Amino acid sequence: MTSRQYLGLSLVLAALALQPAAARDIASGELLGQNCAACHGTDGREFNEAMPPLAGMETEQFIRAMKDFREGRREGVVMDRIARAYSDAEIEAMAAWFASRPATQYGSEEHE
Amino acid sequence: MSNVSRRAFIKAFGLAAVAGTGLFGASAQAQRRAAAHVVILGGGIGGSTAAKYTRIMNPDVRITLIEQNAAYITCPRSNEVITGHFTLDDLTFDYETIKSRFDVDVIIDRVVGVDPDRREVRTQGGERVSYDRLVVSPGIDFRYEEIEGYTAEVAETRMPHAWKAGPQTLLLKRQLEALPQGGTVLIAPPQNPFRCPPGPYERSSLITEWLAQHNPRAKVLILDPKDRFTKDVPFKKGWERLYGYGTEHSRIEWISGSQGGRVLSVDPERMTVEAENGMHRADLVNIIPPQKAGKLAFDIGLVDQTGWCPVDRATFKSTQLDDIHVIGDSAVCDAMPKSGYSANSHAKLVAHVIRAELSGFDPVVPTWANTCYSLVGSDYGVSISDVFELRDGLIQKVPDSGAVSPVTDNPAQPLLESVYLKNWHRTFVKDVFS
Repeated sequence: MTSRQYLGLSLVLAALALQPAAARDIASGELLGQNCAACHGTDGREFNEAMPPLAGMETEQFIRAMKDFREGRREGVVMDRIARAYSDAEIEAMAAWFASRPATQYGSEEHE
Repeated sequence: MSNVSRRAFIKAFGLAAVAGTGLFGASAQAQRRAAAHVVILGGGIGGSTAAKYTRIMNPDVRITLIEQNAAYITCPRSNEVITGHFTLDDLTFDYETIKSRFDVDVIIDRVVGVDPDRREVRTQGGERVSYDRLVVSPGIDFRYEEIEGYTAEVAETRMPHAWKAGPQTLLLKRQLEALPQGGTVLIAPPQNPFRCPPGPYERSSLITEWLAQHNPRAKVLILDPKDRFTKDVPFKKGWERLYGYGTEHSRIEWISGSQGGRVLSVDPERMTVEAENGMHRADLVNIIPPQKAGKLAFDIGLVDQTGWCPVDRATFKSTQLDDIHVIGDSAVCDAMPKSGYSANSHAKLVAHVIRAELSGFDPVVPTWANTCYSLVGSDYGVSISDVFELRDGLIQKVPDSGAVSPVTDNPAQPLLESVYLKNWHRTFVKDVFS
């Protein structure tokens, strides 16, 4: 085995080791996130209501907020109850999807 | 462009030419002519969400929505029409934005038949619409026959159910306003499962609040076939706080199934209701009958012996007929309540399933959610909120999460929930209809 082949094999093994043992399949961040739209707006783009917009939110901020609700570090009206349903992986998937949405009011563009 | 000139333009050049300038460009429009055709029957919350999200997930398909009425009135917040906080107009939504923003062909017509072998829908107006995928969102219908003396005609005249927002909602409002001083309002919720499980209790609450102001000696009597109802703990706490529930001066009384609350028969001439615990006379009688899948579901053959539509939970595909998804109140969905939020959630899953199948993507891992806010008083809200997953072939709550509002001494909790309810409806109808 050449050192180059050895390096390649090592990387493959390292990547395999990083995969969680029997990770439950999770829904896509997009479908998880779309289920938030009924309160937070289509794509999380509702900027004029009591429930905050999620579109364009920094991933770290979204993840911290959801974990704080989930672990009881942050009081919620309903979000504390809802956050307890989501795994770390699901929260991260939603965070990435919301971060990719434009931070503008839904429906405000003449031609979207 | 004014309405008139826009209409003339559409007439001259066709809807597609106008829609093509919208969200999805002209090239997508051209591709779509040869593309798969998704046809959606029913323009309520489930069907309208399905039209919008099928487009978001599938830019290249053709989409047609067939609905018999030119506009839809949301059941959510219609209890507040009875007490005058809203009008039906406030709750009425048409299909113009779904047409223009999402390039959906909307046909206002009644469906008279579906041929699942030819994959074709026929309408009363004589249209034949072929489909590759059919999404059916038929709503509910009523089992009047389970209460002796109660019929569709009685509901339209003397004892409205008002369980679809519309003329009966206004009839109930007029009857409430005409209630004699010190009169009795009788409300009879149905056995599970039924549309909007907290709805009868929100309605009872808001009518009690209205009477306290306008008819202070009047009482509300709930005759229930059940021993528990959704959010009953925070509802009853709210009734204690606002209406003296549990005391001899309570404005509201709830008779459970064990106490004989099940209604057996009604006499609309005498305005009497016979329940297992005896005969009751009331000045206003609101019977909410037991329910079944909407008529269209029966006509197509999507219903089984339960009266509802069985589906493969992972895809919401009918287990009775191929290539047909059933969503919303008609679909059997286990732990999910029959709510608008649930219908909206089903529709989004189906939009993803259609994309996966038409584009050869991996099967979709499902997820669903439901949050329902209800008013115990105008400024006092309670909620239930859950996330659901597929487990052992059934839709089940994610363990150790969700649940109903906690009962606390913090006055901000129910106040904020009432604010969130109003926020929710405004945002939700945009997610559904625009």
